[in-house]
Amino acid sequence: MAETQITRKDALLYGGAAAGGLVVGGAAIAAVAVAVDNKKPPVEGAPIVAPYVEGDLPTTDPAADAWKGAERTYVALAPQQIAQPFLDKAGITSLDARGLHNGREVALLLEWDDDSVDDLDGIRRYHDAVAVQLPTKSGAPPALTMGAPGSPVHILQWRATWQRDIDAGGNTGVDHIYPAVVHDVMPDDVLPAKTAQLYWVGREAGNPLSQNVRSSPVEEVVAEGFGSVTHLPRQTAVGHGNNADGRWHVVIAVPSKRTVGEALAPGTSWPVSFAVWLGSQDNRGGRKHIANWQTLVLEAKT
Amino acid sequence: MAKVSNWQLGRDMEYPYAADRPKKQFTMIMDTNKCIACQSCTIACKSTWTWGKGQEYMLWNNIETKPYGFYPTGWDVNILELLGEQEWDGDVYSGETIFEAAPEGERVLGWAPAEEDWSHPNIGEDEPTGNAADTTYIPDNPHSMMWMYYLQRICNHCTYPACVAACPRQAIYKRPEDGIVLVYQTRCRGYQECLTACPYKKTMFNLETRVSEKCIGCYPKLEQGLQTQCTTSCIGRLRLTNYLSAPDEIDPRKPADFLVHIRKIALPIYPQLGLEPNVYYIPPVHVPTKYLTQMFGPGVEQAVEMYRNAKDDPELLGLLMLFGATERIMHAWDVTGVVARAYDEEGAEIVAVPLREPTFVRPFEFATEVAGEPMTGYRHNT
Repeated sequence: MAETQITRKDALLYGGAAAGGLVVGGAAIAAVAVAVDNKKPPVEGAPIVAPYVEGDLPTTDPAADAWKGAERTYVALAPQQIAQPFLDKAGITSLDARGLHNGREVALLLEWDDDSVDDLDGIRRYHDAVAVQLPTKSGAPPALTMGAPGSPVHILQWRATWQRDIDAGGNTGVDHIYPAVVHDVMPDDVLPAKTAQLYWVGREAGNPLSQNVRSSPVEEVVAEGFGSVTHLPRQTAVGHGNNADGRWHVVIAVPSKRTVGEALAPGTSWPVSFAVWLGSQDNRGGRKHIANWQTLVLEAKT
Repeated sequence: MAKVSNWQLGRDMEYPYAADRPKKQFTMIMDTNKCIACQSCTIACKSTWTWGKGQEYMLWNNIETKPYGFYPTGWDVNILELLGEQEWDGDVYSGETIFEAAPEGERVLGWAPAEEDWSHPNIGEDEPTGNAADTTYIPDNPHSMMWMYYLQRICNHCTYPACVAACPRQAIYKRPEDGIVLVYQTRCRGYQECLTACPYKKTMFNLETRVSEKCIGCYPKLEQGLQTQCTTSCIGRLRLTNYLSAPDEIDPRKPADFLVHIRKIALPIYPQLGLEPNVYYIPPVHVPTKYLTQMFGPGVEQAVEMYRNAKDDPELLGLLMLFGATERIMHAWDVTGVVARAYDEEGAEIVAVPLREPTFVRPFEFATEVAGEPMTGYRHNT
């Protein structure tokens, strides 16, 4: 495919015109026939059609059979070069996306090539991650640049580090980054727990990023432009990611009735965008791969 | 980019944010000539602030042996090499700062140390290896001497911090009340852009809390009118925690203003990088000027001369003698006769010290008596 370039102008002015070209809004969109054949190559430029399914969604199982009922959409990715700092070189060019919903939850399965599992944060050591960006309101999408002042976006980010926090029960700190580490006396060896905790300032201050014991690998934030990510006080997103055959397979799910913005109701369609980080290539923060606005179609209940 | 005034460069420069000088600026003056690298400061800092799990490698304060000691490895030579050769035109810097030389897509010209660069502070830096001619032997020095000196390093709490410039989230800020640069611990998301941008490499990543941390200028002590832990633990009495006035509000009665702006004996470190760093160094008197000029800018020769003449300058000598004489922050000082006195913000006397400590020299040999027999004794105090 042709190289995808997203310029600052595109993002700020035309970010609204989603790649799918559909007029988005609250209006119901007729159900789209869904191919069940999983071997079919993903379709580029097509909307991400999330079929309505009965029962629970596979919110923590990227390998569930239910995903075979959703068609894969090819989403082009480009290095973020709108706001400094730039990602100077792309490590991947696309991800595959598909969706499911059941009227109570919306789940997306995102898959991309990455044969390096980067799931510990250290010095000059960054993690793999993926994020889903949704508007809070129906209608024309906000600026692709993580929204703009007065025009917020709702972002769901999964990080490999947080997945490992969960899978390893919080054992992801210095003892695991450097398994041969030898400690002298540490605060928690000699001080009451409450006092020792003060030496983990970020954690003690309540920074959600500093917690290594967590219940979900997905963080829900709102933003009104690059650099303005704000952790939501009530976290409702769930998910699960695993790396197999040189690919990440990550499910991100959120209740249809969101804590911010309008509900992701059956029969509506939404602009949706994505970002991918490759830890092995020093991706972090704004140094990421981004997609232009796509269209997510939540099929009506039939 | 905004145009800001950087007095250390003698010119305006580009910076991502408009100038917003604090009411007063935290500063530290270091007399490099007095340091013996005992690391009391390092330990005082480490045992106060960074002995937690995840902070193992962190030394907010460190002492390194120059020219070949670094923490982290190559911190200064790497950025000097990246920036390339630059020139001073007298007292005006005609080269580029790290903001002006930032490549496309970056706010600051920088590099990120690898984990091993942080892993061996001080190891090997004091051991001479190889032939003298290949090391710090300076053939054009009148004494053809080997030289080294100790460099005391904390965060420079810069007027134009590169960490602040590079943080995409504005999670690092400069306190308006005293100019201390702090990482907002609940706002940081651990991107480590500050580790790449800070040319002094004084922001560090906490491996447990996954956010950046840095020297906090011991602000809880400052708020009580006390000098920092590294200052008050210094057995060489070479540090002074103080406040510097804005360049257009210089008050010669204030200790830091006097040393930096009036006597110009204390110089900024790598001012050419453009951060207007606020730790000032009295340069070592025995090191080649060329090297010192690279590190401390064009005022080196005058500063060294000023230091050599301090014995004949009671006002300066008195202030230097007050270094390390009190835990309290001095706001003014004076010299009467042979006594220097320091005063607090309200003008109350904090401490008085003599310009010269009384000395008594014990003779090496002396007459004594052992078992009734006269003997010649000698001093053995080692």
